[in-house]
Parts: sequence; structure tokens; C-alpha cells
Amino acid sequence: MSAPSSRARAAVPNGVFAVGLFIATEGALFGTLIASYFYLRFNSTRWPPAGIPRPDPTLPLVLAAALVLAAVPLVLAGRAARSGRRGRAAALVGAGTLVQAGYLAVQIVLYLNDLDDFSVTSGAYGSIYFTLLFADHAHVAAGLLLNGWVLARLAGGLSPYRVSAVRVVGWYACFVATVGVLVTLTQVSPS
Amino acid sequence: MAVEAGPNPVQPRSELLERVWTERRGVFGWLTTTDHKRIGILYFVTTILFFAAGGVEAVLMRTQLAKPEGTVLSPEAYDQVFTMHGITMIFFFVIPMTTGAFGNYLLPLMIGARDMAFPRMNALSYWIFLGSGLFVYTSLVIGKAPNAGWFDYVPLGNKTYSPGPNIDFYALGLLFNGISTLLAVINFIVTMFKLRAPGMSLNRMPLFCYAFLAVSFALVFALPPLNTALVFLELDRRIGTHFYDAAQGGDPVLWQHLFWLFGHPEVYIIVLPAFGIATAIIPTFAKRHMVAFPLVALSEVLVAFLGFGVWVHHMFAVGLPTVTTIYFAAASLIIVIPSAVQIFAWITTLVMGRPEFKTPLLFIIGFILWFILGGLSGIMFAAIPFDQQTTDTYFVVAHFHFIIFGAAVFPILGGIYFWFPKLTGRMYHERWGQVSFWVTLVGTGLTFFPMHIVGLLGMPRRQYTYAPDRGWTGLNLLETVGSYILTAGLLIMAANLIWSRFRGPASGPDPFRGDTLEWSIPSPPPAYNFVVIPTVSSAYANWDTEDRAQDVRRAQRGEGLLAAGHETPASTPMDGRFDELLQMPSNSPWPPLLALTLLLVFVFLLTGHVATAIVCGGAAAAVLGAWHWREPEGAA
Repeated sequence: MSAPSSRARAAVPNGVFAVGLFIATEGALFGTLIASYFYLRFNSTRWPPAGIPRPDPTLPLVLAAALVLAAVPLVLAGRAARSGRRGRAAALVGAGTLVQAGYLAVQIVLYLNDLDDFSVTSGAYGSIYFTLLFADHAHVAAGLLLNGWVLARLAGGLSPYRVSAVRVVGWYACFVATVGVLVTLTQVSPS
Repeated sequence: MAVEAGPNPVQPRSELLERVWTERRGVFGWLTTTDHKRIGILYFVTTILFFAAGGVEAVLMRTQLAKPEGTVLSPEAYDQVFTMHGITMIFFFVIPMTTGAFGNYLLPLMIGARDMAFPRMNALSYWIFLGSGLFVYTSLVIGKAPNAGWFDYVPLGNKTYSPGPNIDFYALGLLFNGISTLLAVINFIVTMFKLRAPGMSLNRMPLFCYAFLAVSFALVFALPPLNTALVFLELDRRIGTHFYDAAQGGDPVLWQHLFWLFGHPEVYIIVLPAFGIATAIIPTFAKRHMVAFPLVALSEVLVAFLGFGVWVHHMFAVGLPTVTTIYFAAASLIIVIPSAVQIFAWITTLVMGRPEFKTPLLFIIGFILWFILGGLSGIMFAAIPFDQQTTDTYFVVAHFHFIIFGAAVFPILGGIYFWFPKLTGRMYHERWGQVSFWVTLVGTGLTFFPMHIVGLLGMPRRQYTYAPDRGWTGLNLLETVGSYILTAGLLIMAANLIWSRFRGPASGPDPFRGDTLEWSIPSPPPAYNFVVIPTVSSAYANWDTEDRAQDVRRAQRGEGLLAAGHETPASTPMDGRFDELLQMPSNSPWPPLLALTLLLVFVFLLTGHVATAIVCGGAAAAVLGAWHWREPEGAA
């Protein structure tokens, strides 16, 4: 066995590997939620039910695009951290965080607006609509907390542990962006 | 075969490692432990207690059904007892016993690692498991246990028909338990891919590990449908959503799809570790390599994969379109192929070897017998008309008990005998071990075989009694007698092991000449597991005499001791080449603290104090932050 510092690691770090598995199980969770949406929809004669307006696709699609864009600086932050550029990594995490926070703020407003029109108790449509969107937004919020944690740790410098953490927020951003797109497409899919 | 090292030639080295790795003693040491072996023992003891509870519930049911119009249990008590029996045996015994106890204790030893990839996460999974078990069992203590069966069909599970907290204990308890399982299996996957000893490429990994790897991946993808189903159920019950409410556009059948999308992979999740135990025991006692090693490994993975495509065969009586049911009937037949490959491989290995019929192997032979019988009745369910005729009868109960008790618990019992010397350093009593096997085998047959007949005679499951004129009385009495004999067999085994724990003769490191690495180290294993990380050149590492002798020589030279701290090497995922040195954490108070705060979250959700639950969630986040504030040195 050679000395640990004499050569670069070849495999993905254990922590990043584990987060990949966590993302896989969360992906399965959203797969189940979206499948439930379509299951209920195809068992329904009218979707959305009478009295509930069809969601306007424009703004949700723009927001989904913004979430995808937010993932770009967060992934680049991982590369910067691996090459030892702490300031650049922090700036990129900060930029991605700002876009994600903007996305979440607008989505919360839209969510509350929707609640003015109908609610989770407005039949199966309302139940799955609000649950699906809530799950999506909750994951974005969790991502923001992770980003905040990473930014706080980066203020104290870089370490192998923190480099992994920056890579993890990049992976997670890609995950929430993918989920955001899929949930949006589900939400605005034609009746 | 194993290197028997007389006077310990590496004692100075092992004393150094002992100082580095030995954890705190006493209760605090156990509370804060991160040692995979201690966590495995905690899982073992806890799951045995749950097994005992589930066993008492089973005996109560059988006593109630021993004669018509029995009065041992009231209808409501019977509902709670059979529901708790199912939940306990599946979620609090078989899965945590295999993944939690066997997996935790053995996997790092088999792959030549000094701990799991995430020792603190490992501890967290145990404490959450314990918390979820106490959470669910509190319901039984207060007389409000879940009472709609282990698969809790709606609308029976809805607020309208189950207004009490019984179903909330079920839904929240299983969600809580699922966190524990998920943490455990992610840890297993990373451990098996990244912590294998140098030289242990994937094709040299023991078949036991393949089974656990397949199960771990299956759980990663099987738990989300269950969690979704449970969240929908709680939302329906608590805030009036309509996921399962047909009157408002929902569909009760959605619950069945989601539940069985978890529930059928779950069947293989239950039996695959048993396959792994069988493939560890058979070569050892047959004294030869496993026949068709690559095919068996592939079959283990295939069973886990195909298990996701058969869930609707639990729903043939629902009224789904014929084309749907035919597809799932075909899928249910296809999964027989990889299962049969393993059966043929086990039998052929035994036939071509020189089998030594000691207690562990006897239990594995019993397992093969029950698995074939249970598998044959399983194939019958793929015939849709037959399935529709026998749905919700005792025939189904007979089938799945042959599988779950015969094919999952028998290997567990055999595995307990097999690794008992490794765990304790003492031998069990062989003669009494064999007596316990025969009594358990007879008890199992008498308990579950007549259920096929009463099922075909039309006796429905989940009913607390029956009329005396149905012609079921004699067979039910036979089943009850069988359950007492079965209990006696388990008690003989328990007495044997408890006696042997204190009075059994010393076993030495390798009493059975096992083929995997755990037999190359002392019994019980030291805190650091291996003096030097072994190098591996085949899937039967402990039978590679020269490799093991080389380990001893390296230890004598002090080469590769890795004694500067809690060090273990990480390797590349596929070919098992050394990749980096990891610093592992030691005793930590954070896992039990985090589990406690999460327990409070679920308790307050149960009682409807949502704001307090959110505060406890905040406390959990703070504990998590404190846990991670101090970074492990050199970790990545």
C-alpha cells in the first residue's frame, strides 16, 4: 500500500458516492409521486375537475429553466473547489444559491396564489397537485440549506471534506433541477 | 486453510492497534459506539426481543384458533395481534436481523475492512430503528396498535373506518423505520464498493456480500413507493386529502399499487440475505467451492431486479384488466428462473462436496426444503384463476410462511449457529443444536402445511374465529400443536446458545474451516478486526493459505499496520485496488441524540402537535450541524 498522499484518489469519495445513492432514492420518490399523479389523472373523467383553472404553463416553465441555469454555477463550483480555488468556488455557490432562492420565492407566491383558487382538499387533483409541488419546493429549500452550510464552511478555507461538500451541492442542484423540470412538465401537461 | 498461529506472533502489533481502536467501556461506550460489531450485536439483541414479541403474538393467535369460537382474544385484540405480528416479523425482525445484525457484524469482516464506510451513520440507523420499534410497540401497550393488517388496505385504514390513532402509529412508525433502513443500506453499498481489501475485485467478493448488495440496491428503490403510500395515507387521515377517496377522484387501488410496489420486492429483500447466508454455509460444510459462482451472483442480482416487476400478482382479485394481470403472471413465472439457478447450485455443491451435516448446514437443508415447497405454491399463484380462488384464504398464509419462516428464518437460525463461535469465541452444543433443528423443522411443517388444506377448504385469513361445523377444527388444532412444537425448538436453541455463551468450549478462530476472511482472525474479533489489511486473490480468501501466511509475515514486519489512528484503506470500486487511506471516527454521542430528536418529531406528529414537531425538527437539524461541525481529519 502506498502512502496516502503520494497519489491522487482514483474513485469518487465515499461521501459523494453516498449522496449519489441518496439522490437515487429521492429520484425514485419523485418517480412514484409523478406516477401517482398520472394514475389519478387517467382514472379521472375530467382533469382538472370542473371549477379549477388549468395551470398557466408560461411562468412555471420559465422558472424550471431558471432552476436548470442555477445548477450550472453550482457544478462549476465543484470544479473550482477541486482545483483549490476557494474564492471562486464560494462565489459560484453564492450565485447558484441566489438563483435558486429567487426560484423558490416566486414558486411560493405561485403556490399561495393557487391556494386562493383551490386547495389540497379539492378532490384528488388538488391533493396530488399541491403535494407534488410541495415536495419539489421542499427539496429546493433543502438544497438552499445545504448551500448555506457549504458557504459557511468555505469561509474557513478548503479541506478535502469541504471539496466533497461543494461537489455534493453541485450534484444535488442537478437533481433538483431535473426534478423541477419533470414536476413542471407534469403540472402543466395537457388535459 | 486458515493459519493457526499458536503463540501469537503479531502480539506487539495487535496491542498497539488495541490501544488505538478499543472503544469506551460501560453503558456510555455502548450508547456512543460506532464499532460495526457492537452495532451488529445491538441489532441482534434488539431484533431477537422483537422476534420474541412477534412469536408470542403468533402463539396467541394459534391458541385462539385451536378450537372453534375461541375466547382467548377478543375480535379487536385479534386484529391488533395479527397486524403487529406481521409488522414485527417483517420490519422489526427479519430485515433488521439480516441487514442490521448479520450485515453490520459480518460485511466489513468478510471484505477485510476495519469498519463500515460511515460508522456514525451506522450507529444512527440502529438508534432510529430502536426508536421506531419502541414507537410502534407503544401502541400495543396502550391498546391502540395497528389493526388493519400489515398491508393496511384502504378504505379500512382511512379515518372513516379507523378513527383511532392505530393506523397513525403504523404509518408514522414505518416512515420512521424506513429512515433507519435507508441509512443502513446506503452504508452497505458504499462499504462494499469502496472498502474491500486490496485485491478483492468485484468478482472475488463473497456471494454473501453479493446478496446483501442486491438487497441494499433493492431497498434504495423499494422504500420510496412505501413512503409515498404512507404519506398519502397520513395526509388523507390528517388534513383531508383524497388520494384514496373514490368519491373525490381518488382510488383505493392506488394504495395497493404503491404498497405492493414496495411489498413484492420486499419478499426478495427478506429472502435474499437468507440466500447469502446459505451460500456462506454450504461451501464451508461441503468443503468445496460453490458451483456456478458467477451464475449464483448474477441470479442474486437478477432476483432483486425482477422483484420490481411482479407486484400486481398480489392484486389479481382486484379486478384489473386481463392484459395487465397476464403480464404480471408471466413476470411471476420468469423470476422462478434465477431462484431455481440458486437452488440447483446449492444442491449440486452439496452433492459434489463432502458435506458435514452439522447444525448450521441442517438448517440450510431445511431452508432449501421449505423454499422449494413455498416456491412451488408461489408458482401456483401465477395462475390467475387459482390465485383468485385462494386470495385471502389460509393457503396464502401457508405459502408465505413457508417462504418467510422456512426460507428466511431457517437460514437466519443456521447463520446464528454458524457465526456464534465467531461472535463469542465459544462453541455451541452440537447435539442440542441438532435437536433444536429437528424440533423446529417438525414444528414448522405441522404449523404451516395444514394451512394449505384449510385454505383450500375455504378458511379465510384474518378472522378471529370460525364455526364448529366448517370442518376446519382438526387441522387448526394440528397447526396450534405445531406452533407449540416450533416454539419449543426455538427455546431449545435459545437455551443452547445462552448456556454455550458461558460454558461452551473455546472455539478458536476457525472451528469450521470457513472460506471467508472473518475466519482468519481471532474469535471474538478484536476492535480493529485485522492486524494488517489482508490481500485477496480469490473469492475464498481464507482458503488461500499462502495469502494468509503472507498477512502474518507482514504483521510481524509491521508492514501496513495503519496504526496512526482509526485507519482503514479505501479501494477502487471495481477492481479493488488500494485508493486512499481513510480516518474513521470513534465513539460519538451525536447518533443517539439525533435519533432521539427525530423520535420526538414523530411522537408530536402522532399527537397532532405539528408546531412542536417542527421545533423538534429544528433541534434535529441543530444536532446534525453539531455532528458535522468538527470535520474528520483527512476525510473526503
